[in-house]
Amino acid sequence: MMKKRMMAAMLAGAMVLSMTACGNSGSTGNGGNTGAAAPAAETKADAGTDEQGSAPVAEEPTGPVELVVTTTFAGEDTNAQNYKDAVKAWEAKTGNSIVDTSASADETFKARVATDFETGSEPDVLFFFNGADSNSFIEAGKVVPIDEIREAYPEYASNMNDDLIPASLVDGKRYAVPANGIWEAMFVNTEVLEAAGVAMPGADYTMDQFKADCEKIKAAGYAPIAAALGNIPHYWWEFAIFNNQSPATHLEIPENAGDEIGQTWVAGMNDIKELYELGYFPENTLSATDDETFAMFTEGKAAFLLDGSWKVGGIVGACQSDPNDPATLDMEKLDKFDVTYVPGKGDRKATDLIGGLTSGYFITRKAWDDPARRAAAVNFVEYMTSDELVPKFAQHGASALKNAPEVDPSQFNILQIKAMDMMAGATSLTGVVQDIFAGDCRVSTFDGMPEIVTGRVAAEDAVAEGLEIYHNQ
Amino acid sequence: MGANIYRNKKPAFVFLLPAFLFMAVLLYYPFFKNILNSFMHLKQLGASATEFNTPWYSNYQEMLHDPNVWTSVKNTIIMMLVTLVGQVRIAIVLALMVDNISRGKQFFRTVFFFPIVISATALGLMFNLIFLYDKGMVNQLLEVLGKQKLTDWKAEGIALVTMMAPVMWQYVGFYFVILVTGLNNISDELYEAARIDGATALQRVRYISIPLLHNVICTCSILAVTGALKVFDLPWVMFPKGMPLKSTFLTGTYMYYQTMETKNVDYGAALAVLIVVLGVVLAKGVNAIFKEKDY
Repeated sequence: MMKKRMMAAMLAGAMVLSMTACGNSGSTGNGGNTGAAAPAAETKADAGTDEQGSAPVAEEPTGPVELVVTTTFAGEDTNAQNYKDAVKAWEAKTGNSIVDTSASADETFKARVATDFETGSEPDVLFFFNGADSNSFIEAGKVVPIDEIREAYPEYASNMNDDLIPASLVDGKRYAVPANGIWEAMFVNTEVLEAAGVAMPGADYTMDQFKADCEKIKAAGYAPIAAALGNIPHYWWEFAIFNNQSPATHLEIPENAGDEIGQTWVAGMNDIKELYELGYFPENTLSATDDETFAMFTEGKAAFLLDGSWKVGGIVGACQSDPNDPATLDMEKLDKFDVTYVPGKGDRKATDLIGGLTSGYFITRKAWDDPARRAAAVNFVEYMTSDELVPKFAQHGASALKNAPEVDPSQFNILQIKAMDMMAGATSLTGVVQDIFAGDCRVSTFDGMPEIVTGRVAAEDAVAEGLEIYHNQ
Repeated sequence: MGANIYRNKKPAFVFLLPAFLFMAVLLYYPFFKNILNSFMHLKQLGASATEFNTPWYSNYQEMLHDPNVWTSVKNTIIMMLVTLVGQVRIAIVLALMVDNISRGKQFFRTVFFFPIVISATALGLMFNLIFLYDKGMVNQLLEVLGKQKLTDWKAEGIALVTMMAPVMWQYVGFYFVILVTGLNNISDELYEAARIDGATALQRVRYISIPLLHNVICTCSILAVTGALKVFDLPWVMFPKGMPLKSTFLTGTYMYYQTMETKNVDYGAALAVLIVVLGVVLAKGVNAIFKEKDY
């Protein structure tokens, strides 16, 4: 009898232990979101100097260390492969290993990162947006300021121009070491333009010219604008507002929909509504996903696509018979794509771009407080932001390097070179206001865009609702 | 001593304890915590709620005025009717037909059951391609048949049909297998006697199969109704954020949207409570309607 009881107790104990073990297994969900919050970064792609002086890298930790790293270098991101290669090289060099929990940048990803911090399961190193999206974990003191890291590692990020590292919206301190900047512009399928008899837009492109071109493209049987307003209206949202402002005022959040800045937001929403009513978006713009409208663009069924610098990789991938093999790139097809300025209006010239250094590498307090992982985390960030690697990631975008090397055009494909030419003509680079105006305050005008363009909700009401939530946050 | 071990129930409790603890920690605690959270101010997943909403029941007040709540409840009820009428009825017809064939029963069982084993997310992606606006499978077929203009199968008027068709298709096989098993339990002697008495095939179905399947059909109906409340992954993959114009929200997808997308976590918690209440009420209603009979 006693033997049976013992056996029963042991079995029960084993069950409990196995369940406990299951409960302990780490969760590494992935998500993704777009958007980064960045204060205005009046930067241009650094031309660089001849000097290659990399900053000294932190002393390499002894013994293998496992670091959990989360980045947005995943999916269609231009730098997804660069990141994988760099991680592999760092692992080989140091003997440490990386548990990579990267995912495409989207709202789900942002929610996952925020939740990880809230539940104490944050990564050791995080490449993330440095605007309002990082407010919650900065307020909670869960990441380490660059200045504090420099007290122990004086050379940390010393190869960066501090003036170009965006400060936190919470306390004005710098936390994230930037690797590469972003820009937003208008990609063009020149094959569609030719078929519709429309000339390639230039630096003085205006909204009125754009509408005239859209009319011709529509008449020729193509969709003028590839955009999924029911899914990703972000880029049109940003530029429509920008077009009613100027670079000097774009990053101001209105007090209410009725004030001067608020009225520019309302006007921006109504501009998108006008384009929708004119039939310039695809017929299924309210029910399509961003992937579908992007496919329309790459397959020559739509002419214009507003998107970011990361989309260069997506377009190049669409021109490869094997998206994972750069050797299969169809150069002739890629040459049919171009990138130019978003049509301007009022005080905003077409060459006034949106962009900046909106993301960077954070080191979390959790890793910092662990002596073994502290050194490895610092070493990893220094490696990823070294003078050698940053230009690889920055490509045609901006960087914060003090001594950026000269760009070698032979290393880039034709679309990247066109992007560099376009960036060379930029007259200003303004931060992304939706990165400051982040969280559920955006819902009424982002997710609510279909209701705005169909007239079910007045633009003024949608803007007012979002601003009320923003100011109550 | 030997017989005593059958009277002593204590070891059974020891074995039940781990499962009970598992349920208590992973189901009942979150359940009651969720009810509490629905009254609190909570805008971040994983964060601790520190204060009550003003008034504490404000989320429930908001629900009454939120048109998306009514849309999602309406769509969920439509989904239930579709599963009842579509899934269970089609499954009954298929089961009766397969039961009447002498060869290939196993083949059809496997074929009809197969969609169940495919992940709903994978099915969602597949049906996205089938209903794709720009040269998806359906639009290509229509083009071959002479239709000039592409049809947007996800447009506002037709989106619900496009969403429910794959859900219905996926689960027909599940009820089919249950019903076929039920049919196998009916004695062949009854059919034989009916045949001798001159009953036609339709009469045998009407007066033997259907009545004797009553309890199995009741079970399927309850499973279908309660299952419709839980449908989430396939609709979310095909119609994220209730696209288009928030017309395709189900209670589950709207709760997820509020919690994960808009970070309105406390409101999402209140919606979860609504789903539970709806589930309990409907399950009670269905149980009352589809009472099992003793034979």
